[in-house]
Amino acid sequence: MRAEILTLALMVGAFTWAFRVLPTRADLSAMPEGGLLSRFLAATGPAAIATLFTASVLPMVQGGMPLPLAGGTVAVLAVFAATRSVVAATLAGSIAYGALFALT
Amino acid sequence: MRDSSSTVADGLMAAIPIALGYFPIAFAFGVAATGHGMSGIEAFGLSLIIYAGAAQFLTLALITSGAPLLVSAFTLIAMNLRHVLYGPSLMKRAGPHARRRWSWVWAFGLTDEVFGAALGQLARGRRFSEPFMFGLAMVAYASWLSGTALGAWAGGGALKSWPAVEAGLGFMLPALFLSLLLSILSRAQLPAIVVAVLATVGVTLVWSGTAGILAGMIAGALTGLAPRKAADAR
Repeated sequence: MRAEILTLALMVGAFTWAFRVLPTRADLSAMPEGGLLSRFLAATGPAAIATLFTASVLPMVQGGMPLPLAGGTVAVLAVFAATRSVVAATLAGSIAYGALFALT
Repeated sequence: MRDSSSTVADGLMAAIPIALGYFPIAFAFGVAATGHGMSGIEAFGLSLIIYAGAAQFLTLALITSGAPLLVSAFTLIAMNLRHVLYGPSLMKRAGPHARRRWSWVWAFGLTDEVFGAALGQLARGRRFSEPFMFGLAMVAYASWLSGTALGAWAGGGALKSWPAVEAGLGFMLPALFLSLLLSILSRAQLPAIVVAVLATVGVTLVWSGTAGILAGMIAGALTGLAPRKAADAR
């Protein structure tokens, strides 16, 4: 394993472990619900995921909205609305994208 | 509240849907990693150490683009910052007397999906226990690692003969992000989401994709600091 990849993995892995584990030990329930830190933390997750979705889709939409992308997106929305399942919606979107890719 | 059992076996059973979903995504990661020039060991190492799908896929993009190590690390760490919220939220639902002695082990597996599944189980009356959490997290982790290993073993060119499958797996990540976004969507977070999207698009178009990701996350998170009406805060 190359040293720079191992270093990057260890740095990110250590912070990820800390982000997941340490808050289970700390009592943040006393944090004021409308406080600045609470609001910042609450906005971080949605902002991160919205950013990642946008960044992953941007290369696909340059030059127009291809049919597989439109179909895959609709499938995710429809299946999530029906099942509220992240896993089911993800798989449905992927299958719809692949099927439409094969047809076009 | 129904006093359901909360053994390791119960956790293993509850994790099956996650495992079914994780495996193909991890497989896609393994294929993508070797397709980006990584060895199988490196791909598996990223899954073993980082264990965060979105961050791992972005790692490939950052490494390929030649981003400096510290910039890459900061970007990936910022991406995973959202996990800070999961522990307190879960423990609050678990109750004040919930044991957390072994959380340094099971909470490493507190991914977006495991967190969501755990909260769902507690909401349906499952009693919180560390063995249950261990079982839940362990199966998801095992699925992620085995999927990565198989994808890396299959190799970057494994799906060249099946372009539709390759295309479908390529859309797995955007589909996962969109699904996760839907799962946490609330009126209160709409401004952060809109600002994040606009900042990502704008900065990506005028600068670079890496800068766009950083700008989107930071701008969106800062939006949370803006004062809002009481009704919107709910």
